Amino acid sequence: MNRLIIFLPLLILLMICFFVLMYLLSNKDPNKPPSALINKNVPIFISKSLYDSDYVIKSEDLKNKKVLINFFASWCIPCKVEHPLLFEISKSYPDVYLLGLNHKDKSNDAKNYLSQDGNPYDFVGVDSDGMIALEFGVFGLPETFLINENGKIVYKFMGPLTKEIIKNEIIPLL
Amino acid sequence: MSSLIGFASLVLAILFNAYLIFSNFFIKNNGKVFNLFIRTSSVLTIISFFSLMFAYVVSDFSNFNVFQNSHSEKPLIYKISGTWGNHEGSMLLWVSILSIYGLLFSFTKNIDLKFKQETLLIQSSIHILFGLFIIFTSNPFLINSVIVEEGLGLNPILQDPGLAVHPPILYAGYVGYSIVFSQAIASLLNHNKNKDWISVAKKWSLISWTFLTAGIALGSYWAYYELGWGGWWFWDPVENISLMPWIAGLALVHSLLMAKGEQLLKKWIIFLSILCFSLSIFGTFLVRSGILTSVHSFASDASRGLFILLIFFIITGFGFLIFLLKTPESSKPINFLFINKASALVINNILMIIATLTILLGTIYPIIVEVLTNDRISVGGPYFNSTVIPIMIPGFLLMSIAPILSWQTNKVRNARLYVLGFVVISFIVLIQSYFSTFNTWGVLGLILGIWIILASCISIISSSKINYDFKLLQKINPYIAHIGVGVAIIGITCSSVFKNEYELNINEGDKFQIENTMISLEKIEMTNEINFQALRANFLIEKNKKIVARIKAGKNYYPVSKMITTEAGIFHQWYRDIYFIVGDQKDNNWFVKVYINPFVSFIWVGVLIMVLSGFIGISKR
Repeated sequence: MNRLIIFLPLLILLMICFFVLMYLLSNKDPNKPPSALINKNVPIFISKSLYDSDYVIKSEDLKNKKVLINFFASWCIPCKVEHPLLFEISKSYPDVYLLGLNHKDKSNDAKNYLSQDGNPYDFVGVDSDGMIALEFGVFGLPETFLINENGKIVYKFMGPLTKEIIKNEIIPLL
Repeated sequence: MSSLIGFASLVLAILFNAYLIFSNFFIKNNGKVFNLFIRTSSVLTIISFFSLMFAYVVSDFSNFNVFQNSHSEKPLIYKISGTWGNHEGSMLLWVSILSIYGLLFSFTKNIDLKFKQETLLIQSSIHILFGLFIIFTSNPFLINSVIVEEGLGLNPILQDPGLAVHPPILYAGYVGYSIVFSQAIASLLNHNKNKDWISVAKKWSLISWTFLTAGIALGSYWAYYELGWGGWWFWDPVENISLMPWIAGLALVHSLLMAKGEQLLKKWIIFLSILCFSLSIFGTFLVRSGILTSVHSFASDASRGLFILLIFFIITGFGFLIFLLKTPESSKPINFLFINKASALVINNILMIIATLTILLGTIYPIIVEVLTNDRISVGGPYFNSTVIPIMIPGFLLMSIAPILSWQTNKVRNARLYVLGFVVISFIVLIQSYFSTFNTWGVLGLILGIWIILASCISIISSSKINYDFKLLQKINPYIAHIGVGVAIIGITCSSVFKNEYELNINEGDKFQIENTMISLEKIEMTNEINFQALRANFLIEKNKKIVARIKAGKNYYPVSKMITTEAGIFHQWYRDIYFIVGDQKDNNWFVKVYINPFVSFIWVGVLIMVLSGFIGISKR
C-alpha cells in the first residue's frame, strides 16, 4: 500500500505527459479557433483596385476558379515575411487566382510596399476600413483563405505562411 | 556586438557547468575549484542577461529579438522590462535567476561540503537543460537579417510599471524552488545522513514562497486595473498554475516548521520539495508552449513545447524516481493526538495538496478532453469556486487555532477565551448580515477572516510580554502571517460577494448618484503621449457638495502595434473602490461601467502583511 502511494506521483506524471504530448503532436493550436467559414460560401463583398478605383472585384467574380485570398498591409511585418512565398505559389500554380486584400492601410504605403517587395497578386483590392476582413472573420494579419471552384472556403490560415504549411496543407488542396 | 557577448557567455556558462558535472565522475574537485567553476558560470549567465538588456536599452535593432519587441520611443523603464516581455528574454531571465540563486547558495556556510556540492551539481544540470533550450529553440541573440531603423514595439498591455517587475519577482519565486528541489534530491542521494539541510531548506522555501506571493499579487493587481474587467482573479490557466506551486509551497513551509517540533516528516518534506519545483516547471511549460489560451499567450511553437515538456519530464521523472528508489525510512512515529499542532498541520497539508490537485485537474482537463474527444471545452470560475474554496475553508478554520495548539498534549491554552471570541464574532456577523444583505458565503468568509485576526491577536497578547524589539517581531511572526491571511480573506469575501455593477449612458456634464456618492462626468479629452494616444474621461466625485477626487478613466491607442488598451480609473477608499470603465461613444453618449468593489484594498494589505512576514521569517537565523 505504502509502495503504491509512492508510485502515484510517477503515474500521474506519466499520465499528464502522455496527454500533453498527444495534444502537442496533434498540432492543435488554441490560438487557431476553427473558422466558422470553412465549407461555407465566400462572404459577399466588393473591393476597389488599389491602382485604379474604376476597377472593382466582387465575390461573384471568384466563381469557377481556385482563389487564394491573402489579407495584408504594409505595416504588417509578418506579411513581409510570408511575401516571397506568395511568388512561389503564383509561379508554380499560375491557375490559382491570387487576390490580395490591403487591410487598413494608406494607399501610398501599400503601393510603395508592393513596388519594393514585388507584387505577387493578380488583383489587389482595398479594404481600408476593414469591413471585408470583418466579413471573413479575420483575427490578425496576415491571414489567408483558399476558395474552391464552387466559391466555398476550403482552407484558412492565420499568421504568416511557411514553406511547410504551403507544402503540406495548401498544395494538396490545389 | 552585445548580442555576440551575450550568446558567447551563455554558451560558455553551459560549457563550464557541463565540464563540472562530467569531471565530477572522474576526479574529486576540491572545494575551491568547484566554487570557482560554479561562480564563473553563474556570473557568465548574468552577463549574458545584461548584454541582452543593454541591447534593449540602446535600442540595438540589429538584434532580432529587440527589433521584434522594442521601439526606440518607449520610456526607459519599458525598454528594460522589454528584455523579459517576450518569450526568449523571459527564458533567459529564468536561467539568470537560477544562476543568481546558485551563486548565493555557493556562499552558504555551516553545511556539509559534499551535500552542498551535490546540490550545486543538480542546479548545474537544470541550468544546462534550460540553457540548451534557449540556444536551440528560443535564442534571444539572433541577428536581424534586414537592416531596420525602428522596432515593432512592446505589447502595449505589458507597458505598465506593475507588470514591469511582475515577471522577475514571480520567477524569483518559481526558480527558488529549484534549490529546495536540488537539496531534497541531494539528501536522498546522500542516504539522508545529514539533517542540517532542513534549516537551509526552510530558508529557501520561505524565500521562494515570499517572492511567489508578491509576484502573484502584482499580477493580480495588474489584472485588476489594466484588464478592465472589474475583478482581480479570473481562474485563468496561467493564474492557476502559479497558484499550484504557491499552495504546495505553503504546505512545504509548514511541514518544515514541524521539523522544528522534532517530528520529522522527512518523506513528506522531500515529496513536497520535488512537487513544488515540478509544478513550477510545469507552469513554465504550460505558459511557454502556448498550449493554453490566456492573457499570457505568446506565439506558440510546437518544438518549444516538446523541448520544455522533455525537460519537465526529465527533471520531475528523475526527482520522483529517486524518491521511489531511495525512500527515506520514517524516523519517529508522529505524535498524533485528537487536536495538537502535529495533527492540525498534517490535516492542513493534506487539504492543501487536495486543493493543488483539484486546480491541476481543472487546468489540464480541457487538454485531456480535447485529446480524447476532439471537443474544445473550457473550465472556468464556477468549477474552481465550487471545488477549491470548500476544500480550503476547513484549512482556514484550523489555521486560526493552530498556533495556540501544543505539540505534545491535547490542551489548548485559554480555550474558553477563544471559544467565547468565536461565538461573539459569529453572532455579530450574523446579526449584521441579517439587517443588510444575507449571503452564506459572505457570512462564512467574514466570520473566518475576523476570527483568524482576532485569534492571532489574542495569541500574540497572551503569549509574550510586550517588549518592543525585532526579536519579538520574529517570535510572533507566524501570527503576523496569519493576520495577513485573515485580512485578505475579508477583502476577498467582500469584494467578490458584495460587489455591485452599474451601467450608464452619459454625456459630458451629466451627474449621477451611486450608493450615496455623487459623481459627474466633467469632460472627455484626447491627448498625445510619447508612444500612444490617450482618451480620458474625467469623473468628479463629490461628497457633501465638496469635490473629493478627480478620477480619469479611458483607453490608450498604441499606433505602433495598433492596439487599444483599457485604462480603468479607480477611486480608492479604505473600505471600497469605485472602479470606472469607459466604453464606446454612441449617439453622443458614452457607455460607462461603474463597479463598487468593497474592501478590495484589504486583499493587497493582507498580501503585503504576508510578504513582510515572509521576509521577517527569512531574516530569522
